[in-house]
Amino acid sequence: MITYPRWLERDTGKEPVLRLLGIGNAGVNIADRMVVRAPLAIETVAVNSDQQSLNASVASRKTALGPMTTHGLGAGGDPELGHEAARESMSELRRAVEGADVVFLCAGLGGGTGSAVTPHLAELAHANGSLVVAVVTTPFHFEGRRRTQQAQEALKMLSLHADAIVHFENDRMAEITAPRAEAEETFAACDAILFQAVASLARLISCPGPMQVAVPDLLGILRGGGGSFLFGSGEADGGNRAHEALEQALRSPLLDHGRLVHDAEKVLVHLSGPRSLTFAEVAAIMQEISKNTSPAALLHLGVGVVRDDSAPLVITLIGQTGRVGRLEPSTPVVVPATTSATASALFPEDTITSTPPAPQTPAAGQLKTSAPKIKQEDLPLEPIARGRFEKVEPTIVEGEDLDVPTFLRRKLKK
Amino acid sequence: MAREKIHVGLEIGTTKVCAVVAECHRDGEMRILGVGESPSRGVRKGEIVDFKNATQCVHDALADAEDRSDQEIRSVWLAVSGSHISSFNNRSSLALPEESTITAKEIESVEFKAKEAGIPKENVILHSVIQRYYVDGQEGVIDPHGMMGSKLEADFHIIHGVTSRIQNVIRCVREFDIDVDDIVVNSVASAQAVLDEHQKEAGAVLIDIGGGVTDYIVYKDGVVRHSGVIAIGGDHITNDLCIGLRIPIARAEKLKIEEGSAITTNISSGDRITLKNDTGFSGRDIDRQMLNMIIRARLEELFGILHKRIQEVVPEHLLGAGILLTGGCSLLRGVRETAESIFAGTPVYLAHSQSVSGPMSAFENPQLSTCIGAAKYAQAVHAEMPDESFIGRLKGFFGR
Repeated sequence: MITYPRWLERDTGKEPVLRLLGIGNAGVNIADRMVVRAPLAIETVAVNSDQQSLNASVASRKTALGPMTTHGLGAGGDPELGHEAARESMSELRRAVEGADVVFLCAGLGGGTGSAVTPHLAELAHANGSLVVAVVTTPFHFEGRRRTQQAQEALKMLSLHADAIVHFENDRMAEITAPRAEAEETFAACDAILFQAVASLARLISCPGPMQVAVPDLLGILRGGGGSFLFGSGEADGGNRAHEALEQALRSPLLDHGRLVHDAEKVLVHLSGPRSLTFAEVAAIMQEISKNTSPAALLHLGVGVVRDDSAPLVITLIGQTGRVGRLEPSTPVVVPATTSATASALFPEDTITSTPPAPQTPAAGQLKTSAPKIKQEDLPLEPIARGRFEKVEPTIVEGEDLDVPTFLRRKLKK
Repeated sequence: MAREKIHVGLEIGTTKVCAVVAECHRDGEMRILGVGESPSRGVRKGEIVDFKNATQCVHDALADAEDRSDQEIRSVWLAVSGSHISSFNNRSSLALPEESTITAKEIESVEFKAKEAGIPKENVILHSVIQRYYVDGQEGVIDPHGMMGSKLEADFHIIHGVTSRIQNVIRCVREFDIDVDDIVVNSVASAQAVLDEHQKEAGAVLIDIGGGVTDYIVYKDGVVRHSGVIAIGGDHITNDLCIGLRIPIARAEKLKIEEGSAITTNISSGDRITLKNDTGFSGRDIDRQMLNMIIRARLEELFGILHKRIQEVVPEHLLGAGILLTGGCSLLRGVRETAESIFAGTPVYLAHSQSVSGPMSAFENPQLSTCIGAAKYAQAVHAEMPDESFIGRLKGFFGR
């Protein structure tokens, strides 16, 4: 099922074209952050039906959706309106994804524009032969069931066309910040995590270096075998940068403070740093990581070098836990017949090469209730606790931190 | 020396600081005059993390002990613990001049040589315990005094710890112009109080599970074979409950003491414990199965580690007197049963101080084993060297 993007077969002389599409208000937000914060060779496109948000955006290209349908006022949380706007601006959308080798789709699902347009873009980009990576969030619980449902539907559609979906739940991300944190702070923290994930994925694919990450490796991890997806990143500079960056990456809340790394079946480690990055540092980091992972884990290493000598050392950990069994790896995602019908009905003029293959349609009727969930697992974000031993010297016996409750380490609960 | 000597044992533990004032008779009898206690603050895993608070607690405990025993405390025997304390066995040998008898001087120099063994330079030797002597390869010499031979060898069990951390504990006591006669490692002290000669001879393991650390010591053939510290204790169980059941620490501690057990069988599935609501805590029902499972997991792991370590030194079937559990955490229901399931086939007993007299509540309390042991250790040292003031070793180290 894995179709390699075209540029893999091309001459290596040409650098791949990376494009980030921010869809809807949340997506545009991320796109803006990318422009401002990440010095990467990545094109950003803001796609929105809200003209105001587009005007404020600093993305290099902007695509207004459905000026006739929405009059530039946004979809107002209604996916139907979003779909209509998408249909109206289909040619603009096609242009937005044209010519890119890797397309990142960033969106907050659950609203009007993000939920409706992202699957369309995924389909268009996929038809172009681009590698499609979707980085999406699902709404906060308190936003109501309607939005959650809209988000779930969008996710299902998205999983048909995207090569990989990195899915963050806002609810869980909010738990990372202290309960008394200001609302603004919490939203900013969620944005920051999303941005971090996109930036490191982009860096991973684009960064030249002595050891590039092979795209099949990355895809293998992102597609996963049904376990949880894990992600951590850290950056530091100065004399002790290797240690500090790794510490940060492992302590990342999205890794359950490093605990998830233990369960990981596949881990991709990407190091990006200035030219002064030494082999000894790389070796030290890898040694430390392999200490943290189970002996059976498959480690992929990528090393990228940035021209800028003052760049910090950035460590990115992407992995997949091995709790297989929720879904057989090769089973295509089953979607109720109705949704897939609407999906193809939307594009009458399009030759959809990537419509879901046959096996799903016949069984779809009965499977509606028992249909397996989307492949990508949610990130377990519960912070790991050493509780009152947080600040004292850890008790480490045979490499295990015994301050962490035994029942958690042995997974007796849940 | 007609009058009875008074020895004070002091332990700065993770949950409490306690001082035992004991009257030692020359025939080896010991009577407890008073016990002073103070809940401990500023101590984690047996080590001081907040000097000021810990000092205050030591003061409270000593003042309490003075009150209860009606004695003025001038000096104490201090029990120390912490994960920094470790031990090893070392053999040293000494060539003797032709046709000479072994005297105290030779024995001293063979011990000195054993201590030269490489310990990290920031560490200090706390105990060097003789295991056995060999004279010209003859095994099992208990006392080589006056024997003849050309080579004297000796096995020593050496316990050492980080100098600065031990100095801190001593400074904590010295704040009040109270002298530290000597320091004694928790496990050695507890063994003095709990184990008798027969048990040491037959082979016994003493496990002292305290609040922050677990000390253990292995005896066989009357000598120390192994000793050590694992920085896991009752606090860890409380912390596990706090995290696992999502209740405040103070609640978790209370729940552990009142309801906690390490026995997971024979619980009906719906058995719940109701916690009443309180300021800052809304009431909650706790699943007993869950409660006990968390406790058992922690204890099983602890005993698993101990089992592995002990087996490397003395195979279980040689432990004639079995395993003895003491320390505050041994009061938890089901601890003995859990230990028995890990040390399969070896008898496990709950133990407390032996051969002392005084208020029963004092010596029957396993929480006080170490503290009483420190006083007992003092008595034993004085019995060996009756009139000599025992200052030498440590005070030399700490540059009084």
